Amino acid sequence: MVGGSELHSFTSDSNMATTAMAAAAIAATPSTVKTSFYACNHHAPFLSSCRPRLSFHHRLSSSPLTLPSLWAPKYSPIHRHCAASASSKVDASTATFHGPCYVLGDNIDTDQIIPAEYLTLVPSKPDEYEKLGSYAFIGLPSAAYSTPFIASGATKTGFPIIIAGANFGCGSSREHAPVALGAAGSRAVIAESYARIFFRNSVATGEIYPVECERVGLWKECTTGDIVTVELGENRLINHTTGKEYKLKPIGDAGPVIEAGGIFAYARKAGMIAAPSN
Amino acid sequence: MEGEEDKRWSTGLGCLRGQRATTVVDRWLSSLEAEILIFGDGVAGYGFQPCDFWSKEGIWLCAVLFAFDYEASSPKARVEQSPCSCGAGPISRSSLGQRFLISSHSSIQVKHAMTMTEKILARVSEKSHLEPGENVWVNVDVLMTHDVGGPGTIGIFKKEFGQNARVWDHEKIVIIPDHYIFTSDERANRNVDILRDFCLEQNIKYFYDIKGLSNFKANPDYKGVCHIALAQEGHCRPGEVLLGTDSHTCNAGAFGQFATGIGNTDAGFVMGTGKLLLKAAIVLGPSHFKAVECSDDGFKPSIGKEPADLFGIVPPTLRFVLDGEMPNYLLAKDLILQIIGEITVAGATYKSMEFVGSTIQGLNMEERMTLCNMAVEAGGKNGVVPADEVTFKYLEDKTSENYEPVYSDDNARFIGEYRIDVSKVEPLVAKPHSPDNRALARECKDVKIDRVYIGSCTGGKTEDFLAAAKVFLASGKKVKVPTFLVPATQKVWMDIYSLPVPGSGGKTCSQIFEEAGCDTPTSPSCGACLGGPRDTYARMNEPQAS
Repeated sequence: MVGGSELHSFTSDSNMATTAMAAAAIAATPSTVKTSFYACNHHAPFLSSCRPRLSFHHRLSSSPLTLPSLWAPKYSPIHRHCAASASSKVDASTATFHGPCYVLGDNIDTDQIIPAEYLTLVPSKPDEYEKLGSYAFIGLPSAAYSTPFIASGATKTGFPIIIAGANFGCGSSREHAPVALGAAGSRAVIAESYARIFFRNSVATGEIYPVECERVGLWKECTTGDIVTVELGENRLINHTTGKEYKLKPIGDAGPVIEAGGIFAYARKAGMIAAPSN
Repeated sequence: MEGEEDKRWSTGLGCLRGQRATTVVDRWLSSLEAEILIFGDGVAGYGFQPCDFWSKEGIWLCAVLFAFDYEASSPKARVEQSPCSCGAGPISRSSLGQRFLISSHSSIQVKHAMTMTEKILARVSEKSHLEPGENVWVNVDVLMTHDVGGPGTIGIFKKEFGQNARVWDHEKIVIIPDHYIFTSDERANRNVDILRDFCLEQNIKYFYDIKGLSNFKANPDYKGVCHIALAQEGHCRPGEVLLGTDSHTCNAGAFGQFATGIGNTDAGFVMGTGKLLLKAAIVLGPSHFKAVECSDDGFKPSIGKEPADLFGIVPPTLRFVLDGEMPNYLLAKDLILQIIGEITVAGATYKSMEFVGSTIQGLNMEERMTLCNMAVEAGGKNGVVPADEVTFKYLEDKTSENYEPVYSDDNARFIGEYRIDVSKVEPLVAKPHSPDNRALARECKDVKIDRVYIGSCTGGKTEDFLAAAKVFLASGKKVKVPTFLVPATQKVWMDIYSLPVPGSGGKTCSQIFEEAGCDTPTSPSCGACLGGPRDTYARMNEPQAS
């Protein structure tokens, strides 16, 4: 993969998070390398491959949509043991996500993502974290969005990728918003632009990749349920259902921070804070 | 593939054609050398149109510098002083976004005028000399959290710093339960308990607690809505940095400080360190440039350093100049709705909003807060009003802390300027479902209203209730729909019951409200402004425990 090798040679020069750095971040944060399921889920979205990929498969295989055979995640899913993933290479730039997409328009605010009445749930508590996920996008007007983001009776979403218009995540600063999306099982949002606080919360928590697309109005060319692939390394979005490809803006520095597990892992790697003292 | 044409540059400088530019904050504290600190958001949310550029190595650089007045000391340096066809050129105040600096490759002296926000952030950053990719710490003066953001923040703090960790400064954290208070929701009540336990454990000096929900007055510590409480308790001071786990934290910019909302994770970080992490995207020093040429294709810059900032940026400032005497039929809310309607809900994304002009000078602090409060509704990072005698007078009896006001330089660069003749503004509303869906109130006079809610940090202050009382007084009639009154804080509640309304012959707001048939003013909190648990007062649901 040509792009990948160029990137790799650059990033070895870079000050910014790289393969080595992200791996160091993981090594430096033993708290993320617990084998508890909740720790995997909560702390390290890179390690979120140990989140229910199984459930995606399960859901997708039981849906009318069929997976193209090119499903080929760039790293093997790790389901339970985060310790195993700590030793595997972390390369944000080659992360790939694949599956049905959920399509939204402009100015999706955080109250639509997670209505205020659910904000009594505390994201740092594992069981409440899961509950937040189950309510993701419950605030969307059903007239405009007839397909629910999370199927009735389910607690996780069947849509690993969200496609949206401009100013995604506007409104309240509630960190519950990117947390809900991540807890629901989404991996990336592809939007034209983001509101500031939402973007920063996404990266700081490491819960979901906030990726920008180049094309204004891209969301209008996609339909909920289209099978898409997001290739962060290639900066590319492929809609298999329509056959169209789109250029994405590079995730840049945000990628390695999300891979590392968020701002704390990043700050530890940079020596700004110590590991937790217990 | 789409979009893949010509805009590939080596890292270094880039050219945005007709797009909005990131800002440069000059670390002029060490400014004989050209240490230009670029905070630039390289990834998202900056309002860039799809015109990015990246090096052959695939690194996306999105840093564009403002043109400053400076002298290039090297004969090889080239300073672009006149616009070229690609759009580069010196700063002009009226043009939005077409600002470029072409630097020299040797040392340049920067004489840079800064905006208020730039100054505050430059001042509180610790380092005077930075390397590319280095991290910048912004010292935080006050961290605020409440019952919605607090428990999550505390959870993160303990997880990341240790169960027995101590906060960075137990006098600089202000914890204000205000969101879901007067409810039977067990989780909501538990969340206030979580705050209390933490405050006891950490000896937090400012915790505005409430235990007995049936009578807020029996809880003398309890204040109410966090942003108004911060102001009334003297925690907002000119020149300082105030962060809160709430989008309307920008409210405090009315005091001439940098105040913005952050999430739980950032707040947990601040709790432990007292700093907010910004990233210096690039520090361009002498070695970082070569002479660049500007042609019709844009710049062809030279080698440079790493790409742009991750999260935090020092935002460029949009300036709003409001002049004219405030008509008696307008409030600051009309002014900010006018502005948001003009620039849209993303019009100020990643930018500061600075409110100046003769009208602003005539506003009291509560009206100034209303303006800054809604900066976030325009996508803004923060809003500011320069501190003046009105500010100082307000603060006289509220704080004994020393503070140092900061002002934009006369020739500071602004990314845009809007001039508003207030005498031409009419009463406005924002129609469903967006704050920028502006309409003249008189054009909506036939819209049937089901209920009225007067409250919140934006609209539930003493000034707001006085204004409402005057309207009821002038009308002399009773309300036709349920009218809910939710004072922001205990102080506002007391004002409603004690302050005489001008022109009423000594009546208080509460009397006028009662005569007009409004609901009795309720316990101060955020109330139904953001919905809340199902049994929240004035919420449009049948009360039920959830």
